[in-house]
Amino acid sequence: MSVLDLSLRGQAAAIAAGEAEAAELLDAALARIEQRNPAINAVVETFPERSRAMLEAAPSGPLRGVPVVIKDEWPLPWRAQRFGAAEMTAATAPGESGPYRALRDAGAVIVGVANMHELGASSTGNTSVYGPARNPWDTERCPGGSSSGPGAAVAARLVAGSVGADGIGSIRFPAAYCGLTGLKPTFGRSAMTGHHMDGVSTTIVSGPLAADAADCRLLGSALCGTELQGGNAAGLRIGVIRDAVSEDVTPEVREACETAIEALRSETGGEVREVELADLDAAALATVLIANVESLGSSSPERLNNLDPEISPIGRGFSKYRMLLPAAAGVKSYGIRTLMRRRIANLFEQVDVLAWPTVPAVAPPLEAPLVKLPSGTLTADQANVRGAGLANLTGIPAISVPVGLGADGLPIALQLQGAWGRDELLLDAAEALERASERRWVDSLPPLAQAEPADA
Amino acid sequence: MESPDRAEQFIPAGLASLGIETDEIELAVINAAHAMFWPSIRDLLALDLGELEPERDQDLSRAPEQG
Repeated sequence: MSVLDLSLRGQAAAIAAGEAEAAELLDAALARIEQRNPAINAVVETFPERSRAMLEAAPSGPLRGVPVVIKDEWPLPWRAQRFGAAEMTAATAPGESGPYRALRDAGAVIVGVANMHELGASSTGNTSVYGPARNPWDTERCPGGSSSGPGAAVAARLVAGSVGADGIGSIRFPAAYCGLTGLKPTFGRSAMTGHHMDGVSTTIVSGPLAADAADCRLLGSALCGTELQGGNAAGLRIGVIRDAVSEDVTPEVREACETAIEALRSETGGEVREVELADLDAAALATVLIANVESLGSSSPERLNNLDPEISPIGRGFSKYRMLLPAAAGVKSYGIRTLMRRRIANLFEQVDVLAWPTVPAVAPPLEAPLVKLPSGTLTADQANVRGAGLANLTGIPAISVPVGLGADGLPIALQLQGAWGRDELLLDAAEALERASERRWVDSLPPLAQAEPADA
Repeated sequence: MESPDRAEQFIPAGLASLGIETDEIELAVINAAHAMFWPSIRDLLALDLGELEPERDQDLSRAPEQG
């Protein structure tokens, strides 16, 4: 087995113990990217000399010498972000973004920039100036977006950890579609400086994607600048909601998630409580409107009339449509935020986590990202935002955990959401789920990532 | 629900009033987005949140202070 196939923490431990050479691991990661990336287009740029320079200067932090990739949403000192697009309306420039500094200070080595959905505008990942990233479980399927590359890269084990960003589920969707664990931290807790929406966005956070909760904890600790300490989720009170987020889902997703919730209850010695949370549809719409209104600052008719023609028609059209959104809808959206924050604050006095499927169906085809649900056929974006928006709207943390494989062999995921600042509890609960399944789902690998003799 | 005729007026009139130019494909995308979002936006606009007490000094990293 290659050191590269160890977990993120396993790689860090092997280097710290002198059992692995960081320089060899870096070379192995670059070779793995060369070998596997053409099938999935997860990594859009490597810079071996920069990576080697990072390694040479790496401090003895918790991730010293460990290769990772970072989403094309964060500037690096040698590269401005492109946001998956031919052009951004916001200004960009190379620089030391918060996630870059966090990784550098932890000793990690950035080996590449990861693909993303154009302008961060979809849960699918099927459109990008670099071409779509592909799901390692089935390269004709969506990897999830907008952090498509960070998801696909870890699922294919190009690296063991990646940094994404989540403004409306953009870490949790690729985690779900690619069979990974992805943490959307509490708003404001993780590194955000240098992002073109820093100080403007009230929904976006940086966060980790990795194979399991322990690796998310390690990488998330670096991004948060504080150790996300392990505890236990004993006596966990799990809230479930009988609403579209849990019921308008495919039968296989519903069954896998209900099984996982019961397993989590049993493993933690906790309880499942049915709770009510009205207006989730309004909350999802409010999240979409807030995210879009907040990004209008750099838009103007003149700018929009001169968009790069290489931006996709959907990207160009939607950028223009946003200018027509009524101001009153934006104001109402902030009102919905206030309403939902109070409601879930009350809920979190009754339960520790809210649990429902991260996405209502497995990864749809890249060519036509539609999902067939009990209520009918919806675009994946329409369906996915329903369960994801609440965490971004209110600021609470959320985690997506793999809990099964569907009939097509594609991952199924459960989302857990906790109260503000309880990111650690979500990681504890995710670890409890892993124990309950004897790590069956977090250790499942797509065919593309199964070690070949040439990798050894 | 808004009739298609009204949407056909709203989109080009709104874009024209802002001086935003579109080609046919972009216009088709905009019409599709409008058809998808507008019914929900109208529902949102119909909500009366006048009685909602504002959350002063809102901090999204923390729970709201309960009155």
